[in-house]
Order: sequence, then structure tokens, then C-alpha cells
Amino acid sequence: MISTRRYRLIRNSVFVWMTVVITAGFLMSIPKIDILEHTARNLYFHVPMWFTMMAAAIVSVFHSIRHLRKRDIESDLRAAEAARVALLFGFMGITTGVVWAKVTWYQGTSVWWNFDPRQTSVAIELMVYSAYFVLRSSFEDSELRGRISAAYNVFAFTTMPFLLYVLPRQLDSLHPGAEGNPAFSEITDPRMRLVFYPAIIGFMGLFWILYTQRVRYRLLKNSVENRYLNDNS
Amino acid sequence: MRLLRSAFAVLQKDLRLELRSRVGINSLILFVFTSLFIAFFGISQQPVGPRVEAALLWIVVLFAAAIGMGRTFVAEEEQQTSLLLKLNASPLAIYLGKLTFNFILLAVVNLLATGVFIVLLNKTVADPVTLLGVVLAGSLALAGSTTLLSALIVHAGGVGLLPVLMFPLLLPLMGALVNATRISLSIPPMGVPTGVLGENLTTIVAFAGVTITASVLLFDQVWQD
Repeated sequence: MISTRRYRLIRNSVFVWMTVVITAGFLMSIPKIDILEHTARNLYFHVPMWFTMMAAAIVSVFHSIRHLRKRDIESDLRAAEAARVALLFGFMGITTGVVWAKVTWYQGTSVWWNFDPRQTSVAIELMVYSAYFVLRSSFEDSELRGRISAAYNVFAFTTMPFLLYVLPRQLDSLHPGAEGNPAFSEITDPRMRLVFYPAIIGFMGLFWILYTQRVRYRLLKNSVENRYLNDNS
Repeated sequence: MRLLRSAFAVLQKDLRLELRSRVGINSLILFVFTSLFIAFFGISQQPVGPRVEAALLWIVVLFAAAIGMGRTFVAEEEQQTSLLLKLNASPLAIYLGKLTFNFILLAVVNLLATGVFIVLLNKTVADPVTLLGVVLAGSLALAGSTTLLSALIVHAGGVGLLPVLMFPLLLPLMGALVNATRISLSIPPMGVPTGVLGENLTTIVAFAGVTITASVLLFDQVWQD
């Protein structure tokens, strides 16, 4: 556990950092790219959101495995809260992605959604984490809830490679990162890297803040509830 | 050896119970038959492509699995036999027995569903051996992914939760099944399956492998009290 002072220091620097990143993302000059034009600025927001969701998913499954080994309440709460933040970032990522696709891939058509493999797999991720929370809410007993939902989390995670590697081979994709169309390469303008890399760090920091705040809140709530129950018994 | 013997005992018990009442298998067969009939009646006025037909077949099978597999462990709880089962067999043996039973149940139902599909749509099957392989591998993958999930829902408000938990996970499998079925219906065999068919078959088998391995590792945690 880090001290409150250091925690506040990190939290405030993430806030300042994110403010700078967002301002730079909107104001700094970018190269003129056909079709993309100024929507290329979405690179600073959409891509880090997706990275952050993956990081949150990995944190969540890590704590689920830990919970299955140790059976402590804390790692169950951590897994649940990391999943909640993953859901949040996934939702933001899919929203920015769909809007971005609408004005570039589907420019001039009425198409919003086309089962692109990346869009499909992130939608599936959102469904899996929603199902995880539905499963959680169906238990009264916290020991059972922790054990069963951790098992579901780990089980769902093992099918992830199919979404990431097999699905793109079954469907054609317009998304960068497919064959012959790298998402990010040596031709990417250095000016964009100047904002993109800090944006990744900033979003990861934002995830860490949201996640630790939620975990602290849940742990406090848990201990208050326990004290209340003990006083009344 | 002891493990296999007790897994076989669990399988034998389930098969005997099922053969005695036949309520599970009969309702599943009737479900598959009626829903395929309704689905193909709905599209009968206008010809649709083989992909849509194959997708309808597997959607019906997916729903049948969601209904049929959910009972696997809920039934034990309802008959209050799960404690007895826990005392008499190791978790792994129980899992393997239940998995085999679910696989047999699904294989029977899916083979019948495919037969109904061929008859109702007047299909000529170009590659029956591959189609049989696809149906059996698909049954194994479905059984592999739903057996553990059906153990999760025992204490979680019952059978209605299973589709919510299983459908998102099965999307990659669904794509592979539809593709492999479509190809084996229309393209005659060319030796060892390669290309798109080979890729899809590999996906189905790999999906079964991954989910069964994960289930074996996790079942201990889910089943103990």
C-alpha cells in the first residue's frame, strides 16, 4: 500500500498529464492524410482506450486466478473492479471506433456496423464482461460469488485467442492491423508519435486511478458492512 | 485407471437415467425438429444461399445446446444427489463423465438435426464424411464449452443464465461451423481437407481442445464446496 501523499501526487500528475495530452491531441498540427483528414486525431484516443481495455482485462483475470488460489475477498473485488473499468474503456473504445468508421470506411453510405472482426471481437468482450456482472449479481453468498465468477472470468479469457487471431482470418477487415495494412509503422509521422505515446501512458494512468479508487471504495464498504453485521449479531 | 473407471460409472449412471425416462433427449429432438421446421418454413417462399441455411441450422443447434446442457448439474441439485456424487467420485471423473454424456447427447441431436436439414431442404451432400466430421467435432466443441458453464449456474438462479454466459464465447466457433458445413455440403471431397475447410476444421477442434483443457483445470474450483 502506498502512502496517501504519494497516491495523491500520482493522481494529480495523471490529471495534469491527461489534460496536456487532450489539449495537444486537439491543437497540435498533424500531417494531412487523404480520407482520414482531421479524424486521424482519434488515434490519440481510440487506440489507447483499446490498449487500456486489454490491460484491464489482463489485470482482472490475474486477480481472478489469485482469488481461486487464495480465496480472499480483496482479489475478488479487484477482479470485479478491473472488469468494470475494462467495460468502461471498451464501451468508450467501441463508441469512438464506430463513429470513426462511420466517417471514414463508410463515408457516403448509411452503414454504421458491418461485422468487422475488430468491432465484433470488442463487442463480444463487452458482452462477456456484462455476462460476468450478471453472473455476479445472481449470488447472495460472497464466497460462492467470488469462486464461480472468477472461474467464468478465467474460462472466458481462455477463448480470447480465438477472437484475436482466428476471427480476423474468417472475416475480411478494413481495420488497420490487417495484412498489408499495418496499424502503426515507420511511416507514421513523428509528430503523431509525440502525442500518441504519452496518450497511452495517460490512459493507463487513468485506468490505474479509476481502478484503485473503486477498489478502495469497495474494501471500505466491505469493512463497514462487516462491522455493522458484527455489532448486530 | 481408477479415474477412468469412475468417469465411466458417472457416464453409465447418466445414460441409464436418460434411457429410463428419455425426457431430456426427447424434448431436445422435438425442439430441434420443430424449430428447424419453423425456421425453414419461414424462408421457404424464396431460395436463400447455403450460408444462410447453414447458419440457421447451427443457430437452432446452439439454442438446443443452451436448453439441454443447462440441466447437467442442475438436475443433480434438484434430485439432491450432488452430495452423493461428490462423495463417490473425484471432480475430474465427474467432469469427464458428464462431458462424455453431453457429447453423446449433443452428437445424437445434431446428427438428427442435420438429417432433418438435408431432407427439408432437399440437399445433396457433396462430402458426407467431412459433414459427419464437422457435426461430431462441433458437438464435442459445444459440449466442451457448455459442461463447465452448466456447473457454474447451479447456484446462480438456474438454467436461464446459461445462454447469456455461453453465446458470447461461442461466436468464433459459430463462424467456423457455418463455413465448414457450407463447404462440405457443396464442394466434393479432395483428399485431405485443406484451405478454408481445413482452417475451419482446425478452429473447431482447437476450440474443443482449449475449452476442455480450461474446464479440466477449473472444474475442481467450481465443483467443491
